[in-house]
Amino acid sequence: METADLSHHISRRFNEDLERVRSKVLGMGGFVEQQLQKAITALVEGDSSLGESVAMDDYQVNNMEVAIDDECSRILATRAPAAGDLRVIVAIIKTITDLERIGDEGEKIGYIASRLATMERPADKYREIKHLGRVVSEMVHDALDAFARMDVESALRVARQDRLVDEEYEAIQRQSITFMMEDPRTIRRALDVMWVVRALERIGDHAKNISEYVIYMVHGKDIRHTSLDDVERELRAGPGTAGAAP
Amino acid sequence: MQPATQMWWFTIGRVLATVVAGLGVGWLFGNLGAGLAAALAVHLGWVLANLFRLEWWLRHRNYADPPDVGGVWGEIIAQVVRLHRRKRFHKQRFVQLMRQLQRSTAALPNGVVILNAQREIIWFNRMAAQLLELRSTADLGLRIDNLLREPEFLRYLGRQDYSNPVVIRPTIGEDNYLSLQVAPYGDGQLLLLVSDVSRQMRLEAVRRDFVANASHELRSPLTVISGYLETLGQDPALDPDLAGPVAEMRRQAERMTSIIRDLLELSRLEETDEIVGGAPIDVAALLSLLRKDVLARAVHPHEVRVRVESTAQLIGDDPEIHSAFSNLVDNAAKYTPPEGSIEMRWWTDAEGGHLAVSDTGFGIPSEHIPRLTERFYRVDAGRSRATGGSGLGLAIVKHVLQRHGARLEVQSILGEGSTFTCHFPPERLTRPPVAALTTEPA
Repeated sequence: METADLSHHISRRFNEDLERVRSKVLGMGGFVEQQLQKAITALVEGDSSLGESVAMDDYQVNNMEVAIDDECSRILATRAPAAGDLRVIVAIIKTITDLERIGDEGEKIGYIASRLATMERPADKYREIKHLGRVVSEMVHDALDAFARMDVESALRVARQDRLVDEEYEAIQRQSITFMMEDPRTIRRALDVMWVVRALERIGDHAKNISEYVIYMVHGKDIRHTSLDDVERELRAGPGTAGAAP
Repeated sequence: MQPATQMWWFTIGRVLATVVAGLGVGWLFGNLGAGLAAALAVHLGWVLANLFRLEWWLRHRNYADPPDVGGVWGEIIAQVVRLHRRKRFHKQRFVQLMRQLQRSTAALPNGVVILNAQREIIWFNRMAAQLLELRSTADLGLRIDNLLREPEFLRYLGRQDYSNPVVIRPTIGEDNYLSLQVAPYGDGQLLLLVSDVSRQMRLEAVRRDFVANASHELRSPLTVISGYLETLGQDPALDPDLAGPVAEMRRQAERMTSIIRDLLELSRLEETDEIVGGAPIDVAALLSLLRKDVLARAVHPHEVRVRVESTAQLIGDDPEIHSAFSNLVDNAAKYTPPEGSIEMRWWTDAEGGHLAVSDTGFGIPSEHIPRLTERFYRVDAGRSRATGGSGLGLAIVKHVLQRHGARLEVQSILGEGSTFTCHFPPERLTRPPVAALTTEPA
């Protein structure tokens, strides 16, 4: 596995640097996961103070991004990594950007949740949002697990799941339009709900991005904007040939 | 020992015999030197042949079939075989023991993960795999904090103080709660114990909700009862025989109100265990306010002193700190006779801030001290009920202090008085303004 490569470094310090920054990324990921979970709970349970606290805590995600970014720049400047190590650093820089955006979307959901808590709640108690929220949280969780384990199989699975999220998004959108046409008084709430669903859909995209970086990190293959089936076929055909370092 | 010595004599005898035979043959042919050389060569050849057999046998590890060599060589081979047998016996015992150990830990109802000094996973049992969603073998060597990313756990792991477990709520899955505790051992290695506490947490939540709801529901009828009792007590047409009972009923209704108020306060404090942030509190102002409260009581100790020895302010939640301190001061006032005295003292040192409330009251028998903060715990049933306490005051103090990372210390001597001290950690203090003044040019 590629993790073994990490331990074969001439310089142990470099190795430790890489491992530490990787752990920091995953720590940031854990915080973002929890923020997302809290935001969804705040919305579904109508807990306005929880929603507010999520919105307030987003600055911590931003701080973590800046700190990790600095550390990556330092490693690039002082160690001049090559091949696999360079890919790890590049993937980390990209991953934290996506994590930060997930944090921002979480903040948005938290903010809307605190506003929606004061309004009348729909009969279905935001069941669709709860379901979509769970799917999306699992995607983020699995993408980070794949990052931790350098696990290409799981990363591919996460990338595939994004299609499901898109379908769900369409369905909720259609449903909201129906509600709005039936009863124009719900338009305000339905618009807010649409914002939340949109944010969740975006989080799904970011999770997909993170899983793509995992594949890039392990195989040195950029699979953005290519069909997943092609990717899978190629990876299966020749895992040995994949390794074209940037 | 005996056979070995014999073996040596036998071997030496054989060498001597060979030499004598060589010398004999050499004498026959008139060349003693050549005969001796031939004898030694024969002996050397024999030694070399045995050495070769021994080495060949050891190299191929064919322990079951040792070469049949006589003399000291045979003895050496026998020793090797014995050593090997003993080693195999011990090894088998260890393997058996290991298997038993592994089987028993695997069957543990709790998850166990062994981590090395780098927090990398060395081993985990089946329950740990199930609870933490670890994959057997694939996850060995990975850092635990990369897979278990809950911020609470990361903070706990970094704090190095593992005396209490941490409860986390994994982001994935239904309302699950896991309790994690680290036990360091050996060379920086860590044992991580995992258990599923969802059931306890849910039960706890149900109990908390019940207490909160019940107290809340009891409040309204009680307000009505107190209201009517008050009107009744002030009615001049009231039968004088009933005046006493009505006054008593009013007192009891008031006591019940205070119990319910404290219960509600406690259930609110219990809702979250998180340490509250808060704003700086002026302790000196708070203490002088509490002093006035004591002096406003109908019966109060004749002397109430406030000693503020530090200008540092305490960072905390104002209503909670007020409630905790006022409970301590209230207790002191209640259990101190009018001729006694109370002292409130606030000071800071390297260990943090300290607030002590001392009285010259009845004191508390030492066997009761550890249980004082339990709800409704009475040192002396008759005494405290007469003073109208709710029995929840010190429980509230304990919870407030816990939420501020502080602890309560109780010292008491029967008949001489008690001292309740709150110890706050240094990070709960503001920098004293005096220090800021001294840095300015005079």
